[in-house]
Amino acid sequence: MSTLSPLKMLPLLIPAAFLITAGVLWLPGHPLMLDNAYTVAFKTGFIGILLEALPFVLLGALLSSLLRVFVPDEMISRWIPRRPVPAILFGCLLGILFPVCECGMIPLVRRLMHKGMPLYVAIVFILSGPILNPVVYGATLTAFRAHPELAYARMGLAFLVASVIGLVVYATVRKSPLRLSISREGGEIHERSTRGGKLVAVFVHTSEEFFEMGKYLIIGCLLTSGIQTFMDQGSLAAIGGKPLGSYLFMMGLAYVLSLCSTSDAFVASTFLHTFPSGSLLAFMVLGPMLDFKNSLMLLSLFKTKFAFYLFFLIFSAVFIASVLASLWL
Amino acid sequence: MNDSRSIRLHYGFRSLVLLLFALYIGHLVQQDALHYYVAPKLARWIRLCPVPLALMALSLGIQALFGKSTLLCDCEHRLPRSGLGSAMLYSLFLFPLLLGFLLPDRSLGSEAAAKKGIALSYIAEEAAEHVKFNAASPYLEEFAELAGKLYAQPVIQVYPEIFSETLGAIDLYKPQFEGKSITVTGFLYQENGKGAKKAFAVSRFLVQCCTADATPLGILLDPATQISLPADTWIEVRGKLHMSFYQGKEVIKIIPDSIVPVPSPSTPYVYTNADSVAAWAEIHESGHVAK
Repeated sequence: MSTLSPLKMLPLLIPAAFLITAGVLWLPGHPLMLDNAYTVAFKTGFIGILLEALPFVLLGALLSSLLRVFVPDEMISRWIPRRPVPAILFGCLLGILFPVCECGMIPLVRRLMHKGMPLYVAIVFILSGPILNPVVYGATLTAFRAHPELAYARMGLAFLVASVIGLVVYATVRKSPLRLSISREGGEIHERSTRGGKLVAVFVHTSEEFFEMGKYLIIGCLLTSGIQTFMDQGSLAAIGGKPLGSYLFMMGLAYVLSLCSTSDAFVASTFLHTFPSGSLLAFMVLGPMLDFKNSLMLLSLFKTKFAFYLFFLIFSAVFIASVLASLWL
Repeated sequence: MNDSRSIRLHYGFRSLVLLLFALYIGHLVQQDALHYYVAPKLARWIRLCPVPLALMALSLGIQALFGKSTLLCDCEHRLPRSGLGSAMLYSLFLFPLLLGFLLPDRSLGSEAAAKKGIALSYIAEEAAEHVKFNAASPYLEEFAELAGKLYAQPVIQVYPEIFSETLGAIDLYKPQFEGKSITVTGFLYQENGKGAKKAFAVSRFLVQCCTADATPLGILLDPATQISLPADTWIEVRGKLHMSFYQGKEVIKIIPDSIVPVPSPSTPYVYTNADSVAAWAEIHESGHVAK
């Protein structure tokens, strides 16, 4: 099964050929179908999310492979404080330094972990990075002009939730939950294996990361834009009437919409009149930590069991924190 | 583990896919179609993407053609083993490209606006009761100042550059703007209701990052207006502002004097502006010079 002879390449052409034929048949034969508002909305949404994520995924992949090729293994672990509480604070601050959107986060974090970053610090970084940075803070303030306290609360809650989950992971998880074990990682093998020096090696690794993440990204984008195209947000808003229902609804919405953390505040602000502000917080804190494309990417990084454990932790921590925050707001 | 021959093939395919992605972005830039999908501030970054993509394709190409067989290895990143796995992987990557190249670039319309839920009021009710153009909180100062400038105009022009800010400013001081004349361009939004009386609005999509976060904004058109134009037609509405109620909320509406179809603008979406007052002054100045 290890050789890929030209004959075995044939199945590769089938789906591509099918898609091409389907596409071409679509074009001249069924102009009405092309004018379909759903097709347009689907394509516009899909390409939009994909293009939006592309620079961040590339940046994350590039940073990760630069780390891999140029930074020695011990360096990262030397920077990280040994004790859990300072280490968690370090994880939160890292988000301020690397304002990478959540899509670029996963390849970077994987590399950092292979370089010796402890699991719980990595988790804190994944969770806080997309929220605790100046860009997102500014965008949230602009979106909630009349309610600046929501922007402060968002930052505070993100910090709290990330730290608590970091501590829980520190206390409960002992074995490495990474999908690919670190032992197979021999630094020298790869430096010899690429032709054309270190620079070429960087780009070869970047493209490997890109394809690794890209498949989850594309599936996530497909699902998200499908949901956006066919889901009627107005009809679901009826759930918002019930006090707890509104929290669950906004968190579910954050999960399926998969918005970028810099723009979700504006979407949240359109719900300001209809939903309690605590549920808007839940929307803005959960979304960047956990959404459709993001959870697929997390599943590629971690073993399934741990990934679901993490999803559960995020979901319950955000829920409890935002309900408590609404009492104070 | 794959042998070196199949790794070469994989590298070759990947190089091709990366090149196609770079070409697609180049195509979008050349057709000036990026604005259908992302906001300008993000488009800057996407324009740069073909550079790393091409470099990646080149590096993979070099490995595929000239890499020493004994040194090619996929020990860390697992390449798909079976033909079917590869086929799935690459057709997944080809799918967005096919969609992108084969379907026309279009902007979102009335149907999508109805699905997303159109916003007809922007400011929390408790914030709206203010002394004339005097902001209670520093965050509303910009809107207050803009509202003051707009109020001084005989006819309020809603410029697309500051569309959301203008609507926000008017909405903040609804009572003061009662009866003012306004001119606004947007697509005709038609409510998706089942009843005979469907609400109409003149609307634009506000895009922050990309079309996933596009939020439809609009001003309600007076329900008494007879409108025979199909939804999604681009229209210029001239009329007077009035307060109204829509689904139990206080909103602004336009009682139109005229509704004229206009060609669709080159940039269908609107974006937020960091300093709407300065932007307004600039557009206003240049408008006067043009006249």
